[in-house]
Amino acid sequence: MTQKDYRPMWKELGLNLVGHDQLLNVLGQAYKDIYMRQENRPKGMQYLDFVISEAHGLRIEELMETKKKGNKVIGTFCVYVPEELILAVGATCVGLCAGAEIGIDEAEKVLPRNTCALIKSFMGFKLAGLCPYIQASDLVVGETTCDGKKKAYEILNDYKETYVMEIPQMKTERDRTLWRGEIIQFKDKVEQLSGRKITSENLREGIKIVNNKRRVLQRLSSLREAIPSPISGLDALLVNQIAFYDDPLRFTKSVNDLCDEIEDRIKKGIGVVKNGTPRILVSGSPMAVPNWKIPYLIETSGAIVVAEESCVGERSTRDLVDESGKTLDEMIDAITDRYMKIDCACFTPNVERTDHILDLVKEFKADGVIHYSIQFCTPYTVEAYRVEKALQEKGIPMLKIETDYGMEDVGQLKTRIEAFLEMVKK
Amino acid sequence: MNLVTFSKLQQLSEQNLPNIAKAKQEGRKVIGFYCLYSPIEIAVAANAIPVSLCGTRNEPIEAAEKVLPRNLCPLIKSSYGYAATDTCPYFRFSDLVVGETTCDGKKKMFELLAKFRPIHILQLPQTQETDGALSFWYDEIVKFKKKVEKVTGVEITDERLSEAIKLTNQERKAKKALMDLPKMNPSPISGIELLTVMFKTGFFMDKRLGIALMNEIVDEFRRKGNPAESPFHPKTPRILVTGVPVGLGSEKVVRLIEKAGANVVCLENCSGYRSVFMIDENKEPLQAMAEKYLSTPCSVMSPNPGRIKLLDELIEDFSVDGVIDLTWQACHTYNIESYQIEKFVSEKWGLPFLHLETDYSESDTEQLRVRIEAFLEMVKS
Repeated sequence: MTQKDYRPMWKELGLNLVGHDQLLNVLGQAYKDIYMRQENRPKGMQYLDFVISEAHGLRIEELMETKKKGNKVIGTFCVYVPEELILAVGATCVGLCAGAEIGIDEAEKVLPRNTCALIKSFMGFKLAGLCPYIQASDLVVGETTCDGKKKAYEILNDYKETYVMEIPQMKTERDRTLWRGEIIQFKDKVEQLSGRKITSENLREGIKIVNNKRRVLQRLSSLREAIPSPISGLDALLVNQIAFYDDPLRFTKSVNDLCDEIEDRIKKGIGVVKNGTPRILVSGSPMAVPNWKIPYLIETSGAIVVAEESCVGERSTRDLVDESGKTLDEMIDAITDRYMKIDCACFTPNVERTDHILDLVKEFKADGVIHYSIQFCTPYTVEAYRVEKALQEKGIPMLKIETDYGMEDVGQLKTRIEAFLEMVKK
Repeated sequence: MNLVTFSKLQQLSEQNLPNIAKAKQEGRKVIGFYCLYSPIEIAVAANAIPVSLCGTRNEPIEAAEKVLPRNLCPLIKSSYGYAATDTCPYFRFSDLVVGETTCDGKKKMFELLAKFRPIHILQLPQTQETDGALSFWYDEIVKFKKKVEKVTGVEITDERLSEAIKLTNQERKAKKALMDLPKMNPSPISGIELLTVMFKTGFFMDKRLGIALMNEIVDEFRRKGNPAESPFHPKTPRILVTGVPVGLGSEKVVRLIEKAGANVVCLENCSGYRSVFMIDENKEPLQAMAEKYLSTPCSVMSPNPGRIKLLDELIEDFSVDGVIDLTWQACHTYNIESYQIEKFVSEKWGLPFLHLETDYSESDTEQLRVRIEAFLEMVKS
């Protein structure tokens, strides 16, 4: 996959070189099979192809370089961690590996077998020494979003310092106060780690950078409203996935270029599928790289994914931080408010998510919704019932899928998805 | 337990529902609770009747699975199923049901339960360690107090709360004395008997009746104190069961352990020893309640050092020979925490440890029996 020999760097990071080589081989092949076989992709996707091919190479080298200059790298798993504060002190925020069934044997030594695949994956990546991002991180930031993650971080902390933010479970004024307090504490932690103060100047800059990244992802998202779809769901998902670990300025520029090209395609009526192809909204649990299973199955069954109602998708890009704040306090307020809007199923109640799904169906002219939960992800699997009911009332078909990162159920899932698409077409 | 005491327990249990029905007719309100984090003193102080809600039996689970995912903890499915099928009289009686954001499953299930009864959700912090957590929880209790005042029309004064605390503390004291009986070796009472008494008295509308009965039973066994009358002998393996709460209908693991020739001497769970932490009667009542309830060492807390601390004391006090950690299927917090519990039990105490994950059904009973027997072999050697 990579050209240059990064093995000395990987060795220095303490990676398990043999396992890591195998991982890269598998990933390289999967990427070829899933991504490169797609036809008529926008040229701008070449940048993303390059980033993914260098995800464990050039990007890690960049992280090591910035570390040498005295800047910190902070690894995260969740869209609740405010990247703005991390950027404010000149640190880099990276999403950590959690999307592949890897190091499972190692993970299952410390975690139950019936834990969500994402959690087992991050533990497996760490214990098997296969994630260069966590190795390069000066700090890992966790959050109390769900039972599984909350408890797994206690164990991960034995292997890598893990700072945990407490996420409120409701959205009252008091919850906002609690969350604001958590943000202030995190600010202190980041300042202490980096040895730099967060000021209104550098935080304003941090907010701007992250907002711009969100803006370009919003732009990409809105372009997918076009019929025929100018970009595949797989490609759009990849852009959203890469947003978590690429350099934000470079990423924003490259995706803007991609969007220019897509706009041009729309004008010319160029699409990746024919008119009349069923348009699917995928909703639910996040999909981290290289978890491409569900969109792959959907798009090789004759449909197209038009939007992801997910944390790796529009749930994390929908809201911007208000940029009008002048003082540090006002900015912290703006950040607090922005993150409180996230409608993750870990909140109770979480009716805004259901409303939002209905809006998205309309906006993207979706013909059906596929609700995806990672197996054992209790918040999303329970919430699926309400989502299904709300969609039913509007006559919108929904298919409920619960799966892990394994390939054992691929045949069965394909059959179910095909049957669902048959129904959607009628 | 002698027959007289046992029939008294039965009789009081049978009389309980008619008593509640009568009290309700006379205008008293009923408030239903599911979880040990719920401050029942608020209900007591408002002259309402606090009741435990059903959730320990397998029967209603099938109905629950029409709405809830199959791979969800049986306690949650059972609780919901009882409500959905209207088969829990206590739920039917409840003018207000109290839920809490302990775990993901319950938190999300309560959203659906809300269509059957008015529900009040207590938001529990996810950690006990910060100052913020306690004040947040204190506010939750104040909010709950206001809610109960509205439902009952009774103003809950500090005096009323102090009275209520005295009563619930007495209940805790009686329960603790009962649970301490197996500290004797051999224990004069079996784990199943203990569980039965605690479970049944737990539903009593009049706490004084339960307290008197528990005290009576404790006196009876203390009086006897004759090893020859114990169902066990000094060599019987003494097992501590830790983990999820257990009640009648979900007692299969306790039963299997004792059928296999051991004695469950202690239950480190919310239906057992964690339920007897006292409320400080010298402090401002709401503050004292907030402190006591927040300190409950449930695995939903992250981290949860209180459980290790409590286990440490109990293993010593009850001269435990082995620890069985019980997790309801799909209960992620206990399931994951088991790793740390095993580490503690084996490293600090060098005791045999067994982690069991099961549900309320009988489908795995044989398999559990085999595993428990093999475990007890190891305990003995």
